[in-house]
Amino acid sequence: MSPAVPDKETVDIIREMGGGTLKICYQCGTCTGTCPWNLVRTFLPRRMMHRAQLGLIDFGDKDIWTCATCGACAVRCPRGVEMIDVIRAMRKVIAEMGVAKVPDSLRVSVKNISYVGNPQGEPEKERGSWAQDLGVKPFAPGTELLYYTCCIPAFDAKVRRIARATVGILNKVGIDYGVLGAKERCCGESVRKSGNETIFQELAKGNIQAFAESGVKRVVVNSPHCYHTFKKEYPELGAEFEVIHLSQLLDQLIREGKLKFSKEIKKKVIYHDPCYLGRHNEIYDEPRRVLQAIPGVQLMEFQSSRKSSVCCGGGGGRVWMETPKEERFCDLRLKEAIDAGADVLAVACPYCMLMFDDSLLSIGKESTIEIKDISELVLEAL
Amino acid sequence: MAKKLGVYICGGCGISDALDVDKLCGVATKEFKVENCKSHPFLCGEEGAKLIAQDIQEGTNTAVIAACSPRAKMDVFNYGPSVYVERVSLREQVAWVHPPKDEDTQMLAEDYLRMGLARAQKAEPPEPFSETIDKTILVVGGGIAGMTSALEAAKAGYNVCLVEKEPSLGGWIAKLRKQYPKHPPYRELEDTGIDACIKELEGNSKIKVFTGAEIEKIEGAPGMYNVSLRQKGAATSLKIGSIVQATGFKPYDPGKLEYLGYGKYKDVITNVQMEEMAQKGKITRPSDGQEVSSVAFIQCAGQRDPAHLAYCSAFCCMTSLKQALYVTGQNPDAQVYIFYKDMRTPGQYEDFYKRVQEEPGVFLAKGDVKGISEEGGKVTVEVYDVLLGENIAVNVDLVVLAAGIVSNSMPEVAPKVEAVTPDGEKKVTEIVSDSGRYATPALHLQYRQGPEIPTLKYGFPDSHFICFPYETRRTGIYAAGCVRQPEDIAASMDDAAGAALKAIQCVEQTARGQAVHPRTWDKSYPSLFMQRCTQCKRCTEECPFGMYNEDDKFNPLPNPTRCRRCGICMGSCPERIISFKDYSVDIISSMLKVIQVPEPDEEKPRVVAFLCENDAYPALDMAGINRITYNPFIRVIPVRCLGSVNIVWIADSLSKGIDGILMIGCKHGDDYQCHFVKGSELASTRMGKVQETLQRLVLESERIRVEEISISEFKKIPQIFDEFMEKIKSVGPNPYKEM
Repeated sequence: MSPAVPDKETVDIIREMGGGTLKICYQCGTCTGTCPWNLVRTFLPRRMMHRAQLGLIDFGDKDIWTCATCGACAVRCPRGVEMIDVIRAMRKVIAEMGVAKVPDSLRVSVKNISYVGNPQGEPEKERGSWAQDLGVKPFAPGTELLYYTCCIPAFDAKVRRIARATVGILNKVGIDYGVLGAKERCCGESVRKSGNETIFQELAKGNIQAFAESGVKRVVVNSPHCYHTFKKEYPELGAEFEVIHLSQLLDQLIREGKLKFSKEIKKKVIYHDPCYLGRHNEIYDEPRRVLQAIPGVQLMEFQSSRKSSVCCGGGGGRVWMETPKEERFCDLRLKEAIDAGADVLAVACPYCMLMFDDSLLSIGKESTIEIKDISELVLEAL
Repeated sequence: MAKKLGVYICGGCGISDALDVDKLCGVATKEFKVENCKSHPFLCGEEGAKLIAQDIQEGTNTAVIAACSPRAKMDVFNYGPSVYVERVSLREQVAWVHPPKDEDTQMLAEDYLRMGLARAQKAEPPEPFSETIDKTILVVGGGIAGMTSALEAAKAGYNVCLVEKEPSLGGWIAKLRKQYPKHPPYRELEDTGIDACIKELEGNSKIKVFTGAEIEKIEGAPGMYNVSLRQKGAATSLKIGSIVQATGFKPYDPGKLEYLGYGKYKDVITNVQMEEMAQKGKITRPSDGQEVSSVAFIQCAGQRDPAHLAYCSAFCCMTSLKQALYVTGQNPDAQVYIFYKDMRTPGQYEDFYKRVQEEPGVFLAKGDVKGISEEGGKVTVEVYDVLLGENIAVNVDLVVLAAGIVSNSMPEVAPKVEAVTPDGEKKVTEIVSDSGRYATPALHLQYRQGPEIPTLKYGFPDSHFICFPYETRRTGIYAAGCVRQPEDIAASMDDAAGAALKAIQCVEQTARGQAVHPRTWDKSYPSLFMQRCTQCKRCTEECPFGMYNEDDKFNPLPNPTRCRRCGICMGSCPERIISFKDYSVDIISSMLKVIQVPEPDEEKPRVVAFLCENDAYPALDMAGINRITYNPFIRVIPVRCLGSVNIVWIADSLSKGIDGILMIGCKHGDDYQCHFVKGSELASTRMGKVQETLQRLVLESERIRVEEISISEFKKIPQIFDEFMEKIKSVGPNPYKEM
């Protein structure tokens, strides 16, 4: 085999696409040692970075799509390489310059989002139908709070329970809130992570405009992914609203005495830190305080929690891609929860719920443990 | 002066609980007929101290203080240079480590007091060697290390002579375009500042600079060197106190690594050539003079390769990173590849490494160079990228090999000597690296052991890397900079300051008639009873510091200011003619003679342990402080170095009926810890020979054992003692007991 020839142009493109920090990688391999994929298969971010450093990227390599953008490597990187940005840059080259094939399921989901604003490809006008029987008001100018529904709870029959529990709480507490229904579209966070920058920009600008037109000043979200992009990416595109994660709102309401529990939940609850709530946004304590405030709940911790939490595998567009059954590290996480003796695995992210629900089915332990969003637990105890 | 002895026994710190102090007094008054023996419950207190001071005022000139270790309360029991103080360690070596009011404990204390008395009767307070001392410091080498040493010494108030063989000062640093960053944020290249440094040096009235000058010879010893110089044909002579050798390095010849193509392809150059080109201005291809647009740097051109330079050269990774910026600075579109074994950028240099990585045109890969070839005006470098697991190739205009450091004391060709074999055959053999003849000429010392400082196997001076940096095996000569070890500018400057301070300490100590490190308090020096000298050359050969010269008749000529007072010559002398006032063959023999050896049927064997004062003896004190108990049949004698143990002591001990002899010193070998470099090695060689002799005399060789420990291994000493006693028990009593 003739030796490979390093290619500066490719490196320059990756740098222009936002992967500039790859230059400072010094190949220690901490990322490879940290990456959760290596719990189930071999995946070498370190080598991927080195290939990129030399411009020797094989854009046909399926592993470019493997990263779940959980950020575990980046928080440990001694050099401050933003691995996610590098991966995103590579995906951008593929998705926007068409140099290789985008995985089918991802392509379909992104296409759906681009056409109808949700990955499932459901009609846009149905976006608010999950709330039909709940007496939820449409957001009107002057309403204090917008409840922005992530596409997953809005359209997925199983995960819909998060949205329903959320408005259940908001109704009981008596907060002045509303929903935008068909006016809102996917936040675009995972669209961007899967390299589709143009579609992301369209989505973001559309949402920013819709929010502005309706006079939205404050938004509460269930999904840490929505939270992340609203908080960190939308402002660069002109957004001026404030965003709060439901766990933060609940924590605030409990502390202000506006949310009072009347029932006990005598269960052992283990909390899973979603990557985008924890590592990406450093919200670790609020969801824990909410769970601890519920009478009867015995809060448990995973061995790897908070900053070291292990990803569910759903970020970075992975939620729309197929993962072979034996390669789901989500299963390992769920098994750990079961082995620890937890009755409930509490999540604070619709992607995590989707992934864990799947795992629960595939490992056949439905009777052993329940997967619940913190909103569901709170509502039960009210 | 007649000895007036006073014996003072302390009862404090548990001594009187463990021992019968009155009985102990009896040893002094009855056995040794000492008139004045006092005991006090707290000798180091105000009252106790007054007790001794009073006697001294009334004429006592020798005080035997039986109390704590000689290493404790040194300030309290110090009565000036004219009073000899002998310390008997009843606390650390008796009361704290043996059962109280026990027969064996009492016997041990009594023996120690006897030994102390024997010593005190013979030892005299040393009188310093005094000579007119010149404190001028000679710095050899005008590179950054030499210049820094000169400036530091001058700033401390000393006159300095700086000798440089080139016509101008500066050395390697003057050949640099820029230096890599030394200041925060460690991101940008800096000027070397060499012009200002030279100006400061030349403007300093305390420094006399001799450029274009070479040393013809250096005679004498610390404090009184005569240095002969030749500068532009004219001879000059200088009076010098001590010397800093900062003679630098030469780059390793990459032509020895054939596969790198140096010498074969014009566009394969070294980092030195790269720097020259950069300093002149444009970086171009030697083959056609075209400006370069792509360069590959190859790190470790021989470094860390046992077949070439086994060690890391410390500066080359940083230099290549620096030179990479020269290239991208000249042409922002240029591509620079750095192929490395490991990037070694310690400390803050990491930030510079990161900064160069950020440069868009710079690419790094860890790999092994597979081959270099030339085609169509480009050089192709093929590298096995170990982090990819595959080969990569780059076509570049220029290849820069990061040549490493060879100490300038390393001879180009190992010197040979013609020797006569035992069969009478003449044979040419290579001189071993550890001798003063294995080095490139620089100092031309008029020492019997050779003209240069002894080196280690890579040609670096034997300058202990941890315990005694800058020191060499020639007292008063200190090595600094790359001649001493591979290092960069910043480290060389640190080295230079350190060596300058050592040189200053040397002249000051010498002026006081005291030794330099490690026996800095010591005023004693060896005197030789020449009538009995057989010119055997043992002392002149074995002194690790080349203290002895020789006259025409092979008589040893001591140079006391070169002496470190280790006593290795005393240990070497078969005629026992070398003595210090307070340390001699006779003094220790007297101590051995007063040890009471019980009859064999009493089953109380006796063992003498010679412990090195540098590590083993302090370790024994630490065992005492930690109350670690051990066998009470051992009598410990501190020695200046195991190398000072004269084998007559072994004979004396055995003939007296002592059952075994233990010697504990410092580690020897390549990573030696011996404070006198060769002492423990010599001791083990000598004892090996003694063991052979014992076997011939049908005495068990197990009766002698040499052990080596470091100061922190205090827990090992009692183990060594106990194990050795077990061995002696199994060997049985010394048959000479009954003779």
